[in-house]
Amino acid sequence: MTELLTISNLSYKKNQKQILHDVNLQLDSGKIVALLGENGAGKTTLMRIIAGVAKNYKGQVSLEGEEKEVQRKAKLSFTDNLTGFSDSTKIKDVVEFYINIFTDFDENQFEELRKFMKLDPEMKLSQLSRGMKEKLIIALTFSRKADLYLLDEPFSGIDAMARKRIINSIILWKEDQATILISDHFVNEISALLDEVVVVKDHTILEHKTADEIREGHESIEEYYEGLYADEEDE
Amino acid sequence: MEFKDNIPIYLQIEQYLYRQIALGELKAGEKIPSVRKLALELTVNVNTVQRALQQMNDKGILYTKRGEGNFVTENTELLEETKQALINNELETFVQNMNRLGVEKDQLIPELEQYLNSEDEK
Repeated sequence: MTELLTISNLSYKKNQKQILHDVNLQLDSGKIVALLGENGAGKTTLMRIIAGVAKNYKGQVSLEGEEKEVQRKAKLSFTDNLTGFSDSTKIKDVVEFYINIFTDFDENQFEELRKFMKLDPEMKLSQLSRGMKEKLIIALTFSRKADLYLLDEPFSGIDAMARKRIINSIILWKEDQATILISDHFVNEISALLDEVVVVKDHTILEHKTADEIREGHESIEEYYEGLYADEEDE
Repeated sequence: MEFKDNIPIYLQIEQYLYRQIALGELKAGEKIPSVRKLALELTVNVNTVQRALQQMNDKGILYTKRGEGNFVTENTELLEETKQALINNELETFVQNMNRLGVEKDQLIPELEQYLNSEDEK
């Protein structure tokens, strides 16, 4: 087991508001990890910092020893919500862009994923439903050869069939040494898939445990996660 | 296949495969599906399947042929033991449920006999 990602003493402010503070995290290669937390807890910001999209943070983020954003970006795959493409852009044009930008983008792999997800390359982004957009994001993300894949709430607002396809694509296409970090505010849909769980609360990482550790205590991941948030509801 | 979320999944995969073997769905000496195929079939992580298979390898229920995959043991004694363990599990659940219904140990066999006889008459 090798160390993939190390975050130490990370803090981040935006418009003088503390979004993250004292974040420490270590992930190994070859894992599927959930990043859990309620909306506003700081999950997306943490993802964006790891991805090298959000800058000007304090602390260290190192991916296989690389701290510079450019080098980190080359080792990880993250699709930032397809922002930057106009609504009239066709799927095939987005793919063209990815091929030009990322030297590790595997066109054949994208074709396989695209067929598996049943996406029509002629469709415009404005024509895509929420589920189709998520499927496209996942197809693009997994078509790169990377050590770390970041998926930000891939299951929000999509139906059970699309979810099943996305989960199967993770099982099928994840390479053994690659790690996937999936953020969600609801754990049930992916709990059977997880090696580890990282819980974000109050702008920092509260706990990091393996799924087996949690279940060996006869607790489901959902109960565990809800337990960490329970005191708040009582107030 | 639905898993309980409060028991380690690798243990449940083990139980699932024991059952497949006891039911003859997987036979002695037969190659079991690949790790990825099982992961997809059960909708679980590849690492979790690997952990379950490793445990079964350690217990001797499965053996690995290098480069070929995992096979069910041909040791009939071990297979019988595995089947007996599953039967014991079922009996344990049965006895516990009957106890909750107020049927004490000494009443179990008469209750069972009565039930089996009435089934025969149907």
